[in-house]
Amino acid sequence: MSDPGARGAAGEPVPDIPTRIRTGLSAGFRTALKIIKVSIPLYVAVTLLKGTPVLDLLGRIFAPVMGLFGLPGEAAFAFVAAFLLNLYAAIAVIVPLHLTPFQVTQCGLMMGIAHNLVVEGGVLSTTGARGWVLTVCRLVIACAAGLLLRGLSLLGAW
Amino acid sequence: MDVLLAALAGAVKLSAKLILIIVPLVTVFEVLRHVSLFRRAGNLVEPVMRGVGLSRDAAIPLFTGIFLGIAYGAGIIIRVAQQKKLPDRELFLMGLFLATCHSVIEDILIFVVIGGSGVAMLGVRLGLAVLLTGLMARVWKPA
Repeated sequence: MSDPGARGAAGEPVPDIPTRIRTGLSAGFRTALKIIKVSIPLYVAVTLLKGTPVLDLLGRIFAPVMGLFGLPGEAAFAFVAAFLLNLYAAIAVIVPLHLTPFQVTQCGLMMGIAHNLVVEGGVLSTTGARGWVLTVCRLVIACAAGLLLRGLSLLGAW
Repeated sequence: MDVLLAALAGAVKLSAKLILIIVPLVTVFEVLRHVSLFRRAGNLVEPVMRGVGLSRDAAIPLFTGIFLGIAYGAGIIIRVAQQKKLPDRELFLMGLFLATCHSVIEDILIFVVIGGSGVAMLGVRLGLAVLLTGLMARVWKPA
């Protein structure tokens, strides 16, 4: 499995286990640093935003759209928390709303697709993919999924 | 001032978490990727991957992302993208799949805990991911 000079399927020489561990540790650190460099400034920026009226304002803007997905207007604040922060922040908003099981599923579906967009968008960019295109995709897909689930529930499939 | 301090404390915690998860993950991946059993597992998922326009080289980053999420999955995605030189097309298709369907265990469970239906959430996300990525793979032909 690790005899020196052995060849992998791709034709590359197979290094021994200590070498692989060393490669893994150094590559792991380099990769982690790369991700940290991108995500930390974004994380700090978004956290600071939390202290401003911006989140509240966004929630009020999006409240009227919530009906499309079968959700009450207050759920918009949970979506703002999910999109900009993370799912735990969103759940903290959802629990006091006493939603129906369908509504909780709807939130979980849509927010599961689109959450923590700022930090994860940055992380996606570091992989070489187009981070902002994928972030727009996530928002569009989340809305599509929400409409789909709403449609299924109206058809009585729920 | 308190807000800034809290943000910085959170930032340190997030960095520590990223290092603690990504470093062991990449190390285990480096050790295992030459093992033949691991390679055969790649063969097994190959037909499924081909349906959404991905090669077996994308299998490990894809499954890491599906189960662990984007931030930790990125550790493996970056590593594999560098080694195997995954083409732009595959990086995008994988990104699209993961955008729709990632971190499926943790993210769905926390909503199941507060009363959501796990089957509906997982079903719609997985279905949409396969559908959208499969469609996109047919629109964006390999060069």
